Amino acid sequence: MQPVAIPAGQRPGGEDERALVAALRRGDETAFVALVALYGRPLLRLARTFVRDGAVAEEVVQETWLAVLNGIDGFEGRSSLKTWIFQILSNRAKTRAVRERRSAPFSALAADDDGAAVDADRFRGEGHRWVGHWAAAPADWRHLPEDRLLSKETLARVREAIETLPPRQADVLVLRDVEGWAPDEVCDALGISDGNQRILLHRARSKVRAALEHYLLEGAPA
Amino acid sequence: MTGDVEHLTCKEFVEVLTDYLEDALDPAERADVERHIVICRGCSNYVEQMRSTIDLLGRMGDDAADGAHSEKLLGLFRAWRAGGAPT
Repeated sequence: MQPVAIPAGQRPGGEDERALVAALRRGDETAFVALVALYGRPLLRLARTFVRDGAVAEEVVQETWLAVLNGIDGFEGRSSLKTWIFQILSNRAKTRAVRERRSAPFSALAADDDGAAVDADRFRGEGHRWVGHWAAAPADWRHLPEDRLLSKETLARVREAIETLPPRQADVLVLRDVEGWAPDEVCDALGISDGNQRILLHRARSKVRAALEHYLLEGAPA
Repeated sequence: MTGDVEHLTCKEFVEVLTDYLEDALDPAERADVERHIVICRGCSNYVEQMRSTIDLLGRMGDDAADGAHSEKLLGLFRAWRAGGAPT
């Protein structure tokens, strides 16, 4: 099967994109397979940041693809195809999430949205000569055995940390750092400003780092 | 400390780190951050921890591929084409 090449930084109305849209309208399976190869995984990841249940997330993704196929004739190219697809997913996933979140225990954790990157008690307080400097400085992880930092257990902790993030922070983190998207692609897909994208990324990365630090300290000799 | 010699505290440093890594600081702020990294062991470790965190996040992408899910999507596409495409 000949894959349809789509540059990562495609823009609305680009020639490749128009060709892809035209192929989809014709019912070209190769075009659909190429699109799924490109966006299938990030769509599923994004869906999972809204709905925790993996099966429900898959359903949301399937509904999204069906909506894409059914809507492709009306797609006018005002935004990029990628942005359009991710907006469909976002809307659908949010609707499902509202239902599911009500009973999910982590909504309480997710409410903590404005926390500092590092707990305030890690720094010297007012009145100290070195106010605002580390009281309990971060350790050097380069001294950890490499297999500990890269262990399955550590990766599992990273996953847990992502799951407890507020949805918007998780979206940005997953697209940027897990999927490796460029900042402007994330802004387009989620409909947020560059500054907002950076704030969400900052909070999300800071929380994942803190969770990792907590986990890695647990196992360290006293 | 009057702030004349050193502009950033560690507490401030950890809040501007993402802007630094994303290259969103102006040159003076950037120089502040870089000077702080050189003189502060704790913050230098913090930067390395953050880089390790980002590196770990980049290793999470490999386990999400799901063959069964892709099969379902192909089925969905074929059903759509059979039912919806004009002849």
